[in-house]
Amino acid sequence: MAHQAHAYHMVDPSPWPLTGAVAALLMTSGLAIWMHFHTTTLMSLGLVLLLLTMYQWWRDIIREGTFQGHHTPPVQKGLRYGMILFITSEVFFFLGFFWAFYHSSLAPTPELGGCWPPTGITTLNPFEVPLLNTAVLLASGVTVTWAHHSIMEGQRKQAIQSLTLTILLGFYFTALQAMEYYEAPFTIADGVYGSTFFVATGFHGLHVIIGSTFLAICLLRQAQYHFTSDHHFGFEAAAWYWHFVDVVWLFLYISIYWWGS
Amino acid sequence: MAEDIKAKLDQYRTAPFDARFPNQNQTRNCWSNYLDYHRCQKALTAKGVDITPCEWYRRVYKSLCPMSWVEKWDGQRDDGSFPGKI
Repeated sequence: MAHQAHAYHMVDPSPWPLTGAVAALLMTSGLAIWMHFHTTTLMSLGLVLLLLTMYQWWRDIIREGTFQGHHTPPVQKGLRYGMILFITSEVFFFLGFFWAFYHSSLAPTPELGGCWPPTGITTLNPFEVPLLNTAVLLASGVTVTWAHHSIMEGQRKQAIQSLTLTILLGFYFTALQAMEYYEAPFTIADGVYGSTFFVATGFHGLHVIIGSTFLAICLLRQAQYHFTSDHHFGFEAAAWYWHFVDVVWLFLYISIYWWGS
Repeated sequence: MAEDIKAKLDQYRTAPFDARFPNQNQTRNCWSNYLDYHRCQKALTAKGVDITPCEWYRRVYKSLCPMSWVEKWDGQRDDGSFPGKI
């Protein structure tokens, strides 16, 4: 009976890449259909398919790694490269929005009154809720590091507690931002100020929600004994992502909330 | 001093080179002089003084600015929606 003479993972055939591609197709064309014919059916179908794909694909990866032992050191190294490259691409994504912000704010046009913030915009006080948000995310960076050390030291209860605290801090940030969005004296339609503010902070908020979800999955897995003290890459990937989200916030806070006010 | 200004205005042909705006895009030059004229006018009429010194800025912005911009800004000043600080 032949078996592999190498440490790499030859993945079994899987339908999820195809369903993911179909989901992408349905969501994009569905978006266009929504804009022209006012029905969200196609897009919603794509969204459902996307959620199913993500759930099943990642579930399969957990099965392959945690239960079937396919994630050998070289395989794990590949996964690390993958996560780092993905986060790098996200950095470039945000770089675009920062470029847009600085383009408009460094040389404000006559239409804005030649000044930044533009005439008529009342900015948020950077030393009120935005400063609290900064503290919340920095604290969550500490708690996620605490969780990591707990996992590495085999401290199960502490790992669960610190990971839970991290997720709660993430929710607190999201709740505070949602309230800020509701109470803000300007909207996304208020010129280039509104556009740059809400697109940059909005995508950041989406990433906070994604990061919190990733951490929540890790919490469930930790509770179900998936992680060992020296093999817990899923958690490390979530922690890297979470730190990335924190760093983006720091840049947003300094640029848009503080310098831009 | 006033005589110098009158002499300068008599010799005026078009907006001279302004080293603050050395490049091809002269938007800021037009905007700056439009603002300066109206600020000068506002400040000097508040003091009750002759506004001849302000004439220079008016000549420059009239030379540089597209008429449509001037019309738009004048309209905005009239209905209180002009975004610049005067």
